[in-house]
Parts: sequence; C-alpha cells; structure tokens
Amino acid sequence: MTLNRGVYRGRADSDMFIGWAKTPAVDRRFLVAALPTMLAGVAGAAYAVASNLDDPGAGAWKTGALYRATGVLATRPYPMLRVADATAPDGVRSVLIVAQGKCTSALKLPANDGRSYAVAGALIERGARRMIEVPLMLGDWLTPADESAALPPPRIEPLGRKTLAGQIMDTKCFFGVMRPSRGKTHKACASLCIRGGIPPSFWAKGRDGRESVLLMTDPDGGPLGESILPFIADPVRIDGEVFRVDDLLQFRVATHAIARI
Amino acid sequence: MGHQYKAVQWNVAKIVYDLYCLAALAAFIGIFMTVGLAAHPSGHRADPVVLLIRALGTAAFLMLTIVLAIGPLARLSPRFNPMLYNRRHFGVMTFLVAAAHFGLATFWYHASGPLNPFVSLLVSNPLYQSAEGFPFEVFGLAAFAILFVMAATSHDYWLNNLSAPVWKALHMLVYAAFGLLVLHVAYGALMTEKSAIYPALTVAAFAIVAALHLWTGLRERRRDAGMRGVSASDGWIDVCAPADIPDKRAVIAPLPSGERVAIFRDGAKICAMTNACRHQNGPLGEGCIKDGAVTCPWHGWQYRPEDGVSPPPYTEKIATYDTRLSAGRVFVKVRPNAPGQRSQFIMMGAAP
Repeated sequence: MTLNRGVYRGRADSDMFIGWAKTPAVDRRFLVAALPTMLAGVAGAAYAVASNLDDPGAGAWKTGALYRATGVLATRPYPMLRVADATAPDGVRSVLIVAQGKCTSALKLPANDGRSYAVAGALIERGARRMIEVPLMLGDWLTPADESAALPPPRIEPLGRKTLAGQIMDTKCFFGVMRPSRGKTHKACASLCIRGGIPPSFWAKGRDGRESVLLMTDPDGGPLGESILPFIADPVRIDGEVFRVDDLLQFRVATHAIARI
Repeated sequence: MGHQYKAVQWNVAKIVYDLYCLAALAAFIGIFMTVGLAAHPSGHRADPVVLLIRALGTAAFLMLTIVLAIGPLARLSPRFNPMLYNRRHFGVMTFLVAAAHFGLATFWYHASGPLNPFVSLLVSNPLYQSAEGFPFEVFGLAAFAILFVMAATSHDYWLNNLSAPVWKALHMLVYAAFGLLVLHVAYGALMTEKSAIYPALTVAAFAIVAALHLWTGLRERRRDAGMRGVSASDGWIDVCAPADIPDKRAVIAPLPSGERVAIFRDGAKICAMTNACRHQNGPLGEGCIKDGAVTCPWHGWQYRPEDGVSPPPYTEKIATYDTRLSAGRVFVKVRPNAPGQRSQFIMMGAAP
C-alpha cells in the first residue's frame, strides 16, 4: 500500500491555469471548444423560452397620436363617454375613460348630468371595445361640446342570472395596455389598477370555447369596491345578473357570490 | 492577492472573461426579444416591456444556475478553472441583471398607482395564507436582497474585513437565493404559462445544480471517510510514500479533526499546509508549485511552502503543518502551526 485510502492526489496535469499567467494550451483548446458550445446553449435557451410563451392577447395602446371622441359623459358605474357610432349595436359605443397610470380617481369629472363633452387622449382598443387614457398634464382633455347629441338614453336589457367561470381583470390592461394581461404574474398589477379605480372586468370562457368580457359592477349597477381585490386574476366562479347596457355586457355581482375554483 | 484595494485588478484573462459574459448576455436578450416580439401564431404581439422583464428574469435565473454549476465543475475537472477564475464578476453581473428585472417589474406593474410601489409589491397580492396563491413577488424580493448583499460585499476589502469564514458563510447564502428564485419562478411564471417546457427547464436547472453539488460532495466525503481509522495517537498520521506526491503537486489528506491538509513536493522538499486558501478557501492541494510558491488553482494566490507566507510584497499567511519521514513514509503532525510559522519539513537526500 502506498497511498492511504482517502488521500487525494493533486492534479497530474503538466499545466495549470493561473489567471495572471499565460493560459496553458490545454485550457485554451478547451475554451475554444466550450465557449461556442455555451453561446449556442444560451441562444437555444433564449429561443426555447421566448417561443413557447402563451398568446399575449389582442389589443393595442396607441400612444403615438391623440384620439378625440365626442359624446355624452356618464360617470356611473365607471367614467365613460357614450358616443354615436353607426357600427355599434343601437348606434351607441361606450368608450371608457381612465387616467394615465393606475389611478382613475385622479380624474376630476363633472356631475353625471347627461351633457356632451369632447375627450382627448390615447386610444386603447381591443376589437370593438374602446377606452381613452387621459394624459393629466393635458389641460383641456375634457371640453364641453355643443352638440347635445340626440343619443337615446342607455338601453338596459336584463339577460338573466348566470353562473360564470373565469378571471377578474382590469379593463385597462386587458384592452391593450399590457399583453399578456392575465394570470398570476399580472395579478398584482390588475389588483393595483382596480384599487385605483380602473373598472374591473370578467373574462369568461364558455363550454363551447367562446370568450366573453363583461364589465363588473355591484348588484345595483354601481362601482365595485375593494372587496374583490383578493380574487383578482384567480380562477373563480361567480353567480350574478347579466345585463346588456348599450354595447357592453354588465355583470352585477356581490362579493360573497365569488368562489375560487 | 490584494493588500492594496483597487476597484478591480484587471488582467487579460478577466477582460476576455467579462467580454464573453457580456456577449452571451447580449445574445440571450437579443434572441429572446426578437423571437418574443415576432407575432404569436394567434397574430397577437407581446408588450415589449413585459417581454423585457421576462427576458431579464430568465437571464438572471440562468446566470445564477451557471454561477452555481461552475464551482463543482471546477472540482471535477481543472479545465473549468478559467470559468471559476472570474466568477465574482459573473456573480455581480447576475445581480445587475436581476436588479434590472426587479426595477423594471416594480416600475411597470406597481408604479403610478394608489400605493407606494414597494408597498404594492408586498400587498397587492394578499394571499399569504394560500399554498397556491402565495405572492411569488416575495420570493423574488428575498432572493434579490441576498444577491444585493453578496454583490455589495463581493470585493476583497469585505473579504479581509469580515474575515474569510464570515465572508464565506455570507456568500453561502447564494444557495438560499437560488432556492428562493426557484420558488419565485414556480409560484409566478409556472402558474401563469401553459407550456410544459417551463417546468421542465426549471426542474432541469435545479437538478443540474443539486446533482453537481451532491456528486462532488459525496466524492470528497468518500475520500475523507477513507482516512478514518488512521492512528493519530502520537499526534502524527501516516499519509503516503514520498513518491506518491507528484513533483510540484500535492496530495490532500483529511485529518481526524476534519481539516484537510495539502502536502506538496517541490523536488526533494516536502511541506504541508492547510488546504484552504486565505483568499476564498480555494483547495490549495489541487494547485501546484509555480516559481517556488504554492499556487491556488482558483485565483492564483501564492504561499511559500515552508512558512505559508505570501511572497513579498504580499503578507497573507496560512497555517502550516510539520512533516517527517519515517520508514519511507511521510507523516504529518495533526496539530497545525500558527499561520506563517516556519514548519518542520522533509528534505530528502535525493528526489524520489
């Protein structure tokens, strides 16, 4: 026996890499082979992760140009402009109004008196759904309009009591500000937006795979409070009344009727 | 070796190392953004800011995985020593990428709301009592705090002032940071994204790091266990024959106390010293003798074999051990000498 069991013999290489000395040829050869392999691995990892991400969802946030809309201002349940639009059901399109950032309470809106106004801001658009994001530094984003547009009063059609499964989201991100805007990684953002007064919406997927997005309100059609915050972005089932109000579906719910799935 | 502190003591190897790291990082972010911004099969395009947050987060996770893999890889093959040499810069780079991810995610998801962004980070998801809904942000924040402390104390100034054992213990927290990052990913991205590739990649990263550490750890444990039963009743242990020690190299022997000792041969001279480098506890016995000095394989710190003192102008000292030759065997005294104390060493009549 020469070596005791357990005695470990040091490296037998003739050359050893020392950072401040010349790199031995054996290490140089290894690095020449290993580094491109590592770069290829890094590129492969980037491709694998980025190419398998979920559908980010539709929608656009058009910050490049100022969008203007004129219509009748409504503040309940949430600030919106009812705009005459021949392509919308019954000729009325609801355009939600939100402030820049996540605090819609920063908007100082006049009373809900049925008068016409012109609103300027960035258009957020997802399919037929529209929203104007008002830049608060723009002093005259809200101006009275002459045309007391001859819009009919809102058409409110009850569609019955429904139990829907889906996810509570904030409308601003969902309409196009953030893509993707669903799931746990977006939960805190959606929660903060809704806490700041941005209207909550309910994204439901039916058994036939059809998707619906409903504006959420309290059982009386008023704004929902912070009691829904713990449920945001989680899979939930909600029992509530569905109404069609102009071109929007409204889901009137009580917080106690929200159940996690 | 640094008795004078400079922000970074650059040399060619460090510059080349950093350039490779930066090139790899740029390639990762560039490919991630290009592929991610291309239209999804649905025709929808992702938000570039959200995508950048994900690219930075993924890069930081991958970088930490590589940082943790380099150590055991270097124990398995000295070919990985060049990657270990400047690992500290790679670690600081990992922190900077994590900081960019943290800053951008906090700004994008939590700023300009009704709450302070840092408060929002902690309260916007209140499901702390839920096993499934637990806020993943908290895991990321804790991991980031550890990476911050490590990056802030990464310089040799802190290594010397905190002392090597404290510094080493502090930097062992990197394993906690890695575990927290795995939880951050598992409770966030893995609960959001549907593709099976994400859990597969996360498990693979964790398994690689765990397997490499287990492999090297068990190997060393097996070696240490081999010395059990070796008598040290007279205060000396029989290590090997002189010819077992390759010239300019060492054998490493565990002592009954659990310490490891490196026994070097430089021609006819056989000297023993602690196996732990004064710098970062690097395994001196896996190094060699260069220009008459024992040279650590990790960062090239040097010590004179007889007294464990760094050659001038440096002043670092490590513990030495006495050696004696008896019946053709090399014996090592189990009690160490004080750091820097000249040891009793073996001078053979002729090189074996």
